[in-house]
Amino acid sequence: MASKDSVKIAPGAMVCNECELRGDITIGSMTVIHPRASIIAEAGPIIIGENNLIEEQSVIINRIPKGEQPTSTPVLIIGANNVFEVDCHSEAMKIGDNNILESKSFVGREVELTNGCIVGAGCKLTCPEVVPENTVIFGQQCTRRQQMDKPPPQTLQLDFLTRVLPNYHHLKKPFVKGKQ
Amino acid sequence: MSHILQSDVVRYACTCGSLKPLSRIYFCRHCLKIRCGYCVSHEVDSHYCANCLENLPSAEARLKKQRCASCFDCPSCLHTLSTKASTVVVPSSDEKTVTRKLYYLACGFCRWTSRDIGYPDQTVASGGWPEKENPHASRIYNLLEHFKTLALREKQEREKKKKFIPRRNIYHLSGLSAAMARKRAGLPSIGPSSLKDDVGGPAELIPSAATEEVEQLPEEIFTDTLNLLKVTTLKQRLAQPEFQPQTVDELYPAHKCLLIKRSQRCRSCEHNVSKPEYNPGSIKFKIQLSAHYHVPEIRIVTCEPLRAGEKSEMIIKICNPTQYQSSLQFSPLPSPEEEAEELSKEIEERKQKVDRKDEKTNREDVLLLLPSICRQVSITEDPRPVNVALTGDISLPPVTLVLPPRDDAAEYDDSGDTHNFQDDPKIVVWRKANKAAMKLVITPEEDISEGRDVIVGFVMHYTYINTMATQLLEQREPQKVNLKVKLYITVGKVVGK
Amino acid sequence: MELQDIFYNKVEYVETASGNKVSRQTVLCGSQNIVLSGKVIVQSDAIIRGDLANVRAGRHCIISKRAVIRPPFKKFSKGVAFFPLHMGDHVFVGENSVVNAAVVGSYVYIGKNCVIGRRCVLKDCCVIEDNTVLPPETVVPSFTRYASSPGVCIGELPECTQDLMLEFTRSYYQHFLPAK
Repeated sequence: MASKDSVKIAPGAMVCNECELRGDITIGSMTVIHPRASIIAEAGPIIIGENNLIEEQSVIINRIPKGEQPTSTPVLIIGANNVFEVDCHSEAMKIGDNNILESKSFVGREVELTNGCIVGAGCKLTCPEVVPENTVIFGQQCTRRQQMDKPPPQTLQLDFLTRVLPNYHHLKKPFVKGKQ
Repeated sequence: MSHILQSDVVRYACTCGSLKPLSRIYFCRHCLKIRCGYCVSHEVDSHYCANCLENLPSAEARLKKQRCASCFDCPSCLHTLSTKASTVVVPSSDEKTVTRKLYYLACGFCRWTSRDIGYPDQTVASGGWPEKENPHASRIYNLLEHFKTLALREKQEREKKKKFIPRRNIYHLSGLSAAMARKRAGLPSIGPSSLKDDVGGPAELIPSAATEEVEQLPEEIFTDTLNLLKVTTLKQRLAQPEFQPQTVDELYPAHKCLLIKRSQRCRSCEHNVSKPEYNPGSIKFKIQLSAHYHVPEIRIVTCEPLRAGEKSEMIIKICNPTQYQSSLQFSPLPSPEEEAEELSKEIEERKQKVDRKDEKTNREDVLLLLPSICRQVSITEDPRPVNVALTGDISLPPVTLVLPPRDDAAEYDDSGDTHNFQDDPKIVVWRKANKAAMKLVITPEEDISEGRDVIVGFVMHYTYINTMATQLLEQREPQKVNLKVKLYITVGKVVGK
Repeated sequence: MELQDIFYNKVEYVETASGNKVSRQTVLCGSQNIVLSGKVIVQSDAIIRGDLANVRAGRHCIISKRAVIRPPFKKFSKGVAFFPLHMGDHVFVGENSVVNAAVVGSYVYIGKNCVIGRRCVLKDCCVIEDNTVLPPETVVPSFTRYASSPGVCIGELPECTQDLMLEFTRSYYQHFLPAK
């Protein structure tokens, strides 16, 4: 059963018109979504926090698991200050704060990212697990390292983008309560 | 990129017998022969760092052990480290807060930083990072000195045996010579004989003693839980062979290795075949005698599916890269006897050349002693027959194909060819500027199995205008030479009937 | 092997006066900041972000399907900015690749599915093999071949690479023909 397309965009968020939003999606304030990004809430709603950066060709899917009939609608929760770089693919149900998914990375459905994790370019995480805080995953064999502290938030870039993007793109209107 | 280079489809046979694609071979204009990577001697032109692209003179490179002074490798993932700045507010003596910049090393890939091993942040952007001393440095230094003096002693002995000059000096008999006076006074002697006395040093070096005692494993290894995140991998450990740290907090950044720019020289005539420019950022060459610019290039355009024992048509494209008109002919490969004859002729020629060279200079001894200063003697190998099993037959048309010279302006001129070549339209199917496409018929062997490669070979004869400067001076006319080259084409795999 | 003809749907591509063949299905943000010098092919689903900073491509460049050309991001003492991205002549960018480099020289071949990190510098005449991940700020010197993740130098290129790339891009353009 396809859920109705309802996208709630908080004021201050920049969501370009050319991105694909399907399903029940909530986007927090100060989040920037570049054109050609895809956020598909198939199986259930997606809630995205504040200050996130979702770049082009990235895919965030709340997928219906194959063969299973979902008993409850699973909610995909993404925290604040995360960065989804170009062409990354995320199906994880729970992503915390301050994570970075680099270009062409893949995070499967069973994985849960806590805070401060960095999934390097080209790395694929498919086995069910909870990635501990401040882990860096890099390289062809997905080697891991513990970092000392979390990656810095991209506030400067977000500020720049909130200034520049409206000049070149049509943005989706934020949803303001009380107005129809 | 491999589909551009296509290193195994069309291969040319070099004079030494190895098969190489056109992009990997050189054409020596003095010998008028094809040379591959094995027939040229490589010389190092300059050293440069891969990261900062800074040139280092060879002497300095050797001193710094072929490593860049300012660039570091990440010990964790072996990528290059970059210097990042962080501003720190420091209260200065005037009770005013001063913002200072502190620099630290960080890796963009695995996010390793110099703070992970406890390096304090530096105030200067480059340099200033602590260097770790090799724990075995003094032992290695002693060994080096020991062997250096041994080598020196041997060299002197050899020289003495050769240059035996009888020193007959009457002063020697009267006891009035300076050497005798020094001896009486008890001073150490100076002059050639004095070095002999000093060489008594190496005998004092204590040789390493082998021991059977090995450190016992500590008991904790079996009981402590292992934190895999703290243990170094083999690759990380071996990247620093002097220290080989076992835990991650002992991984120190190493200096980056240098790359080289090299020039190639034909081994038989000692002329340069490829010489790049000194600047590491430049892609130009001072001398570039790649075969790509002198030998006609053959490329497969299409080929019908190959079946064992049946004829298939193949269209090849031939390109004339030179500035002169070239006429091409094709002939089948020489039989084994003819090939053996050609090889023996080659070996004879080579021997004559080497004898002539040896007569000119007698530099054996000097080279053996000081290899780093003088150039190495070129070691040439005898040419070998090409070792390829042909699995197909090719029918070669007996035509002479004339290709016009290469014209760079023709790319912009679409008016069409003004040349009128009498071509058999069944054989030459297409022409454009200096390129032509020809049709050939391939017959794979009868008993070839499915999926095997079909390899055919033939000899291409082409005319080459030698435009070398010395030739022009002597004869005032560029000389036309007939050259030939053996080609082996891997046409494709055999498809079932 | 000689390249075979590649046919494209005539309706899909726009051919400009200088010979650029650009597909209509691309996302060219900020097209006034994108300079294509001539005889450049931009295939479908490619993304060029001219809105972030100037993008300039030299002559005879080929940007394959789903490639992303994106200027890199740089933090200055006085703030942040996106750096202009300059590509030289005769550059081939393979399918699905993400190019975040600061400078791409001439005669460069970038394979499929590559990730070129932020602020990388690719000098003239280099080859990045398929599926390479170049970490940020890598410098790729001339006549080298890089592969794997993290990108390391795995070999050298022959001296005539410049001519080979020249012929390759030129013949690719000549064989890129509208379907009749």
